Amino acid sequence: MATDGVVQAVKRVGLDAGARVVGVAAAEAFRAGVPEGFRPEDILPGARSVVVAGGDGPTAGAWRCPDHRVMEITGYDLRENVAIHAMCDYIERELGYYAVQAPSLPVHGHEPPMSMMHAAELAGLGTRSFAAHIILNPEYGLLYYAALITTLPLPADPPLAEPACPHPGCVAMYKRIGTTPCLRVCPACLSGTLKDARIETSTYDREKCHSRAQTYGIGSFQKALLAVVNEDDAGRRREMIHSDFFAKSVQSVGFFRDSIAQCFECMRVCPVGRKHRKLK
Amino acid sequence: MGFFRLDPEVYARHKDDVLRLSNSFQRIDARGLSDREIAERLGLDEPTVTEIRVIAERDCYPLDEWQRAIEFKRKACRDWAAAALKRPDLKDS
Amino acid sequence: MTELPSNATKRLKTMAISAGAAVVGVADAAAFDAHAPARHRPADLLPGARTVVVVGGAQPRAGDWVATSPWLLSTMGTTERIQGVGRRLAQSIESELGYYALYVPPGTASGDTPFLSLMLAAELAGLGSRSLAGPILNREHGFMYWSAVITTAPLEVDGPETAPACPAPPCREMWAREHTTPCLRVCPLHEGGCLAGRLEDGRAVRTGYDAARCNTRVHTHWVGGFQKVLEETLNEPDREKRKMLVYGDFMTRTLWAITYSSTNIAQCFECMRVCPAAHGLKEMR
Repeated sequence: MATDGVVQAVKRVGLDAGARVVGVAAAEAFRAGVPEGFRPEDILPGARSVVVAGGDGPTAGAWRCPDHRVMEITGYDLRENVAIHAMCDYIERELGYYAVQAPSLPVHGHEPPMSMMHAAELAGLGTRSFAAHIILNPEYGLLYYAALITTLPLPADPPLAEPACPHPGCVAMYKRIGTTPCLRVCPACLSGTLKDARIETSTYDREKCHSRAQTYGIGSFQKALLAVVNEDDAGRRREMIHSDFFAKSVQSVGFFRDSIAQCFECMRVCPVGRKHRKLK
Repeated sequence: MGFFRLDPEVYARHKDDVLRLSNSFQRIDARGLSDREIAERLGLDEPTVTEIRVIAERDCYPLDEWQRAIEFKRKACRDWAAAALKRPDLKDS
Repeated sequence: MTELPSNATKRLKTMAISAGAAVVGVADAAAFDAHAPARHRPADLLPGARTVVVVGGAQPRAGDWVATSPWLLSTMGTTERIQGVGRRLAQSIESELGYYALYVPPGTASGDTPFLSLMLAAELAGLGSRSLAGPILNREHGFMYWSAVITTAPLEVDGPETAPACPAPPCREMWAREHTTPCLRVCPLHEGGCLAGRLEDGRAVRTGYDAARCNTRVHTHWVGGFQKVLEETLNEPDREKRKMLVYGDFMTRTLWAITYSSTNIAQCFECMRVCPAAHGLKEMR
């Protein structure tokens, strides 16, 4: 097992490369909750550790913009991915162990080869919330996660003992009116109940959320394309092809940064991490 | 061997079950099944389940839902800004 | 004309390594004439070109090669990391040396024909040699990604390598034993694959390469695949069958590749995965 000095050195490389937080999970910890074929050991033989980096999302100023389209195409600098590359290079070049960036982009529909959300949970970086089961970091709230898998045996960080969700403010609200800010703003995608200040039940309609979180992108392009090819009237077809909706859909396919995330309403009303969004 | 095309009848027969068993409608206390697990449960082969699931994810809601999404976000964003920034003029009418 | 300092080439190479290149070399622009078709030579892109600076790096890591998931190499492409180095070199040549510099964009003028062959540039800059499977292999680092900058600066030129990495000793032994090599065996032209060749007097001789088929493997999910499915869809009279095509796994994955560049760099590495000379020399645990 690597020393604390080694694990701190790896984390420091990631933080210096722009990660907001870095944590470590044991590869074997994925077996309990992950089906075969999607575990670290299924990707890198001999995997011992998963190092997870969390990076910032929109700036505090972006959250205040009354035009939702701004955050739809804000994109990100994806520093958590840069941090992962920096740590992979360090682990292979300086420490001599195998290290790979965990493949996280969907390869069959909405299914990635490995869950970055679950990796973040196991690495002690956050817990699942009411809001689309997004992993909330107790200090920063919404972060974006990337991970690396390595044969280097690192001491793991424990999963968080206290969940970030529900926030005390949400517990009070639930007690008062039977709902929380995120459940109230988006009942179409979310539902849930609290009991004894903990999440008792929570459901999330991912396909409906997809129409909001990626309104313009691969999915909307497919929906619109099918409608176009099925339209027999040439004039109507022309209108559809040149419509704002189709143009924005094609644009999002062309510029990936336009399509990373396009709905933030459940997170906009979430109090976790909000203190970092109060500036001058 | 030609290009894999799913028979629409096979799709219609199994799409609801595949989607129900997958990660589309999530519960915080239980995970969805993988395509392999769904295939074993339904007596299908894995590539067929994958194809059904991918199509069903996209087919789940009609294009109207995308328009509703656009309107939802415009309203929610402006209403929040009106309240948080104390700017009632921003409220979506 | 601006004078070139005597240590200019050395400083430029040092800068390239600091910026993240694993290797850097300089080719004589005129040397392309014997190998590259007209309109795809350095002077066709930058009139007055004298040299071409080539950097190599951003190669798959040791872990990437041993990974058992087919999705790792095909969705986590790293070539863009070396392109940034090329861009910086071009800017540095112009701002610090005062000579014209043109960063060769890695795309194509049209179809599959690049502006300038980066593989040829790497060979002429002494950074590697062509393997039986096709990719340029560097003797120390194996398979790499390349970026090139054409310039009017009269930099010191490196000559091509004299000792190729391919065939590697295990491949020579395999040829003597079985009349094939790892790359030929994994993707044989005569069995629906892409490659044919032989070893002759210790040299690799490629006798066949099906570029069109290789394209369906390296870029399974990319523009070509999108065009194919679109054509099938438009030709399909049944609306439900059209939906199966447009919403299907192949089209969905292809759109992901069109959107996210890391997923479209390259989607088949099998000839390189089995190549003993492709993975670099460093041992990992």
